[in-house]
Amino acid sequence: MRVVASILALLVVAWARADDLAARIAAAAPGDTFEVGPGVYTGPVRVERPLRLVGRGRPVIDGRGAHDIVTIAAEHVEIRGFVIRHSGDDLDHESAAVRVLAGHAIVEDNIIEDALFGIDLKAAPDSVIRGNVVGGKALDIARRGDGLRLWRSDRTLVEGNTFRDGRDAILWYSSDVLVRGNVVDRCRYGLHLMYSDRVTLEDNDLTRNSVGVYFMYSNQLTLTNNRLLRNRGPSGYGVGLKESGNYRIEGNLIAGNRVGVYFDGSPFAPGGEALLTGNTIAVNDVGLALLPSVGGNTFTGNSFVDNLEQLAVLGRGNASRNAFALNDRGNFWSDYVGYDQDGDGIGDFEHEPAHLVESLLDREPKAKLLLFSPAEQAIEFVGRALPFTRPDPKFRDPAPLMRPPAVAATKHGRPASLALAAAALAAVGGLIVAGARLGPKESTP
Amino acid sequence: MTSFRNVAALARRELRDALAARWFILYTIAFAVLGLAVSYVSAASAGDAGLSGLGRTTAGLVNIVLLIIPLMALTAGAASVASDRERGMLAYLLALPVARWEVLLAKFVGLGLALVASICLGLGACAAVVAVQGGGASAGAIAWLAGLSVFLAIAMLALGLLVSTAARKASAAVGVCIFLWFSLVFLTDLGLLAGAIAFRLPIERLFAAALGSPLQVFKMWTLLASDATLDVLGPVGVYASETFGGRLHALFAASLAAWVIVPLALAVLTLSRRSAV
Repeated sequence: MRVVASILALLVVAWARADDLAARIAAAAPGDTFEVGPGVYTGPVRVERPLRLVGRGRPVIDGRGAHDIVTIAAEHVEIRGFVIRHSGDDLDHESAAVRVLAGHAIVEDNIIEDALFGIDLKAAPDSVIRGNVVGGKALDIARRGDGLRLWRSDRTLVEGNTFRDGRDAILWYSSDVLVRGNVVDRCRYGLHLMYSDRVTLEDNDLTRNSVGVYFMYSNQLTLTNNRLLRNRGPSGYGVGLKESGNYRIEGNLIAGNRVGVYFDGSPFAPGGEALLTGNTIAVNDVGLALLPSVGGNTFTGNSFVDNLEQLAVLGRGNASRNAFALNDRGNFWSDYVGYDQDGDGIGDFEHEPAHLVESLLDREPKAKLLLFSPAEQAIEFVGRALPFTRPDPKFRDPAPLMRPPAVAATKHGRPASLALAAAALAAVGGLIVAGARLGPKESTP
Repeated sequence: MTSFRNVAALARRELRDALAARWFILYTIAFAVLGLAVSYVSAASAGDAGLSGLGRTTAGLVNIVLLIIPLMALTAGAASVASDRERGMLAYLLALPVARWEVLLAKFVGLGLALVASICLGLGACAAVVAVQGGGASAGAIAWLAGLSVFLAIAMLALGLLVSTAARKASAAVGVCIFLWFSLVFLTDLGLLAGAIAFRLPIERLFAAALGSPLQVFKMWTLLASDATLDVLGPVGVYASETFGGRLHALFAASLAAWVIVPLALAVLTLSRRSAV
C-alpha cells in the first residue's frame, strides 16, 4: 500500500514538475535567465520569447516519443546544460530534439539522445551550436534523421559538437558558416553542403561515415586540417566534390577511405581557385577518383602514400586536364621510382605512373580479387619488363617530391602492444625450439 | 594412451631432426630476412601507421608468407616420408610396435611444430622491427597473420606428406611439391584472373573458385581479420561480405581445415597400403 502511495506521489511530483517547466517558460518575462535543477521533465517545451534556459545538474527533458521536444520560436534564446531525449521517429514530421525557428539562438553543452533529428535550424541565422553531443536512433540508415540540419541559417557557428549514428550533418542554403572541431562518426554524410557558399570547415574529425565531407553545388569553400578516416560506406569518399567550385583543400589527413577525394564536375566553372595542397592522402583504396570530364584542379605539395590505386579515372580518358604541380613543386607519390641526383628535393624524372595491374583492374574490377597476391606482383613485373604491355599514363607530375611534406597529423600505431606481440611470438618460437632441445635424450619408443 | 606416448615420442624426434636440419634454418632465415626487409621499408615510408586495418606492412608480409610458407611446408612434408623410405628408416620405424598412422601423425605434429617455431620467430622479428620504427601495423593484425600463417603451413604440410607417402623417391616428391607450389601461387591466381577477364565468370563462381585455393583463402581471411570486410577486393569481396557476413570466418576455416584433413587422411590411407621399402 505504501509502495503504491509513494509511486503515485512520485508520479504526481513528476507531472507537477513537468507542468511546472512548461508553465514557468510560458510565464517568464523576456530576457529572463532561469535555471532548471536536476530531475526529469516531460516535453514538449516551446520557447516563444527571448530567454536563457540553463540546466544545473543535467536536468532531463524527455520527449516520450512525441514529435519535437524543444522548440525555439523566438530570437535570442539560449538553451544549455540539458539532456534532451526520446523524440518521435516519424520521418514525415521530421521530429527533432531541438527545433530552432528563429535567429541568434545558442544551443550549447546539451546531450541529445535517441533523437530522429538532433538540432534542426530553419531560417535561424547567426546562431551558435556548440559543444553538444548528439546521438541518433538505432534505425536503418534510410529511416534516420540528420544530427544537425541548417536551413537558410547564414553566419551560424558549429563548433565542438559530436554527432553519432545519424544521417547527415547538413547545410542547406546556409552561407558564411564556420564548422570547427566537430566529430561526426558512423553517419551517412559527415558534413554535407548543399548550395551553401563561403563555408569553412576546419579541424573536424569525420570517421566511419559513408562519406566524410560532401560538397554539392556550393562555392568558395575552405577545408583545412580535418581528419577524414575510414569512410567506407556505399559511396565511401573522404571528400566528395559535386559541381562545386572555388575551393581550397589544405592540410587534411584523408586515409583509409574507399576513395580519398572524388571529383564530379568540380570545379564547376572556370576561374577561381581549385587547389589541393599539403594534404596527406594515404592507404585509401583509391587516392583520387575523377570523372573524365574533370579539369582545372591544382595539386601541389600533397602526399599520396600507399593508396591501392593512387589515381583513378572513372571512364575513358586521363586526368591531364588538371595540374599536378604549381611553381615547379609537385606532390609526393609513394610509388615514384625516380631519383634525385642534384639533391634539390625534386625527382629528376617526371612521375608518369603506368601500372599494368591498375589498368587491368580499371577494366575488370572483378579481378580485384587477386590484389595482395604474388600473382599481382608477377603481372606488374611483366608490365615493367615488356614495355609494349604498358598502358598509357593517367597523369603526369612534372616535379614529384622526393620526401612527403607531411604536415597533416598522423596517428601512429601502438609500438608497446606491437612489442608485446613480437615478444609473444618470439617466446612461442623459442619455447618450441628449447622444448625440443632440452627434452629427454631417449627418443624412440 | 600408448598411442599418445608413441606419437609424442616420434614427434619429438621429428621436431628435433627438423630444427637441426639445414632446410629449416635456411627457410627461417630467408623468411625472417625478407619479412624484415618488407617491414623496414614500409614502416620507413611516410607514417601511415594504424590508419588502415591492413597497413602496407601487413600487406607486404602477406605476400612474403604466401610465397615462402607454402614452399617451406610443402618441401618439408615432401622430404620426410620419402627420404625415410629411401634410407630404409621407414622400414625400421614401421617395425617398431607403433601403428602406421601414428608414424604419420607424429611426422605431421613434429614438422608442424617446427614450422610454427619458424613462423613465430620470423614474424616476431618483423613485429619487433615495426615496433622499433613506431607503427605500420597493429599488434592484432600481426597476431592474426601469425595464426593464419600457421594454419596455411599445416595445410601445405599435409599436402606435402601426401605427396611424400605416394612418391618412391624423395627427389621426386620434392619436385612434385615444387610444381604444386608454383601452381598454387601463380597458376591458380592466373586461372582466376582468366576466369574473371576472359571467361567473364559471375562473381559468385569466382568467389567459389577462390574458396578452393588455400592461398586465396589465407589472403582473404587475413584481410577479413584486419578490416572486418572484404570490400577492398572489389565486387567479389563486396558480394562475399554481404552474402556471408560473419559466417565468412567459418567458411574460410572450413576450407583450410579441409586442406589439412583430406590430404592427411589420404596420406594415412596411402601409407597403410604401401610397403615400407
